[in-house]
Amino acid sequence: MTRPEMPAEDAGMYVAREKIHPREVKGRFQNLRNLAVIVLLGIFYGLPWVQWDGRQAVLFDLPVRQFHIFGLTFWPQDFLYLALLLIIAALTLFFFTALAGRLWCGYACPQTVWTEAFIWMERWTEGNRQKRIKLDKSPWNREKVVRRGSKHLLWVLFALFTGVTFVGYFTPITELVGRAVSLDLGPWETFWLLFYGFATWGNAGFLREQVCIYMCPYARFQSAMFDRNTLIISYDEKRGEPRGGRPRGVEPRKRGLGDCIDCNLCVQACPTGIDIREGLQYECIACAACIDACDSVMDKMNYPRGLIRYSTENAMEGKKVRTLRPRVLVYGFLLLALITGVLVSLTQRTPLAVEVLADRNVIYREVDWETIENVYTVRILNKDRVSHAYTLTVEGLPGIEVITRSEQIRVGPGSTASEVARVRVPRDAVEGVGNPFRLIMQSVDDPSIRTVNNARFNAPSE
Amino acid sequence: MTKKRLLRSVGGTLWPSFLTAAFASVVFFANIDPETLHMQTLPDWRISRMTGYAIGFFMFWGVGLASSIITFVLTDGGPREST
Ligand code: SF4
Ligand code: SF4
Repeated sequence: MTRPEMPAEDAGMYVAREKIHPREVKGRFQNLRNLAVIVLLGIFYGLPWVQWDGRQAVLFDLPVRQFHIFGLTFWPQDFLYLALLLIIAALTLFFFTALAGRLWCGYACPQTVWTEAFIWMERWTEGNRQKRIKLDKSPWNREKVVRRGSKHLLWVLFALFTGVTFVGYFTPITELVGRAVSLDLGPWETFWLLFYGFATWGNAGFLREQVCIYMCPYARFQSAMFDRNTLIISYDEKRGEPRGGRPRGVEPRKRGLGDCIDCNLCVQACPTGIDIREGLQYECIACAACIDACDSVMDKMNYPRGLIRYSTENAMEGKKVRTLRPRVLVYGFLLLALITGVLVSLTQRTPLAVEVLADRNVIYREVDWETIENVYTVRILNKDRVSHAYTLTVEGLPGIEVITRSEQIRVGPGSTASEVARVRVPRDAVEGVGNPFRLIMQSVDDPSIRTVNNARFNAPSE
Repeated sequence: MTKKRLLRSVGGTLWPSFLTAAFASVVFFANIDPETLHMQTLPDWRISRMTGYAIGFFMFWGVGLASSIITFVLTDGGPREST
């Protein structure tokens, strides 16, 4: 298939990309980022190994449709929590984006975090930026083979480990690792392990900033949450320009120069390969590497730090900065309300769910002259981790009583049971259809486990 | 196809459909047990829950992918707006 030549303005999108080798920088924000990488990866790789009450603390057990998160067990019936959790996550992202820009991108996005880890491995095996650029250009000799080979070996091993860990959130990880070592994994485990491992390897090893530029939806819509008071990384043009080289110790203003010595370190440090001095660009993931790079230069030159710094558009223009804007307050308020709501409802959660279904075939039955009977099927789901015996009682109509097959209904942990409930009411106490009453299910051993279901009782109309 | 275009086509088709499929599967299977579907449609076949999830996920992914590919072809290959 041939295609017409691309028009000139599109050509930029198609030029072969040169591999970006970000320069290693040291500084406050780099330390912060390293800390974030260690903490976040530590949580990801460590969490599946944590035990709680004799089982894996965090386990999404898909085959039996239960999610265990520390002491809590979630069922498909608890879908609401999952939905709320997603909404809370999205709102948190909005909130922090409005306040502090792309904090997420710079410190917490898995793409950034894993890329950082892969760059560390690259650095251990291939050396620093200059060495890596040289290695790229050098012909395939022994050194290149050894360095490249060990890098890829490290990467693949790390990616496989990542895949195992990922699957370990869905299958008990201790058994999983045992089976992985003896190459005895099920087809789905193998598939997801390789899938996740491959994605990590490809995204963090090869695609890197291109994921942010071409594949990330957040990168495209984050600007909608920005305003003039949002924290961004910016270059102080007034202070920096005109840029230019100069010997140390020279007073720049005397030479008609700004504070930027045009060393290009900020560009070399940038993982997305942009020049922050050209202004805010959507490729910028706000990683602050350029700040650290520039600050180190300013220190050497004995200039004040902060030629590149966290700032806001308003601040850069000398206007007043308002942190608490309506949008921040609205996001913050919604967030607080939702989180409180979820926490409260989590503490109120009863580990018991009961469904009551009326018998559709028979509207009512006349047991004898004095008594009318309705039959219901009661489905009991014991969400607790121990078995319970429950009793069923009824209230709400004069003389109402219920008959079940046995006095107590025992349901095992995480199991369901069905029970037929015959509800009887004296004939002179009810009339017509739809008389409301309540069925109360209560655990014998723990009376605080109790549910109330509303149901309707049908009787002949006189 | 240049490397960049290849990348854009993958980034613009496989990836968004994967994201939406993952999301759709979570919502769908949180509310519907594949076992129930299985019993009501092909009870004679042996389909485990895990297989059920996988079928659902790949079905969602496939549908999303088809849509993304069509979008990509329509927006990328067609006549360009003059400048
Ligand atoms: S642009 Fe997207 S992928 Fe890149 S760091 Fe930000 S959120 Fe992550
Ligand atoms: S411009 Fe600075 S903050 Fe933005 S991505 Fe590059 S190094 Fe990071």
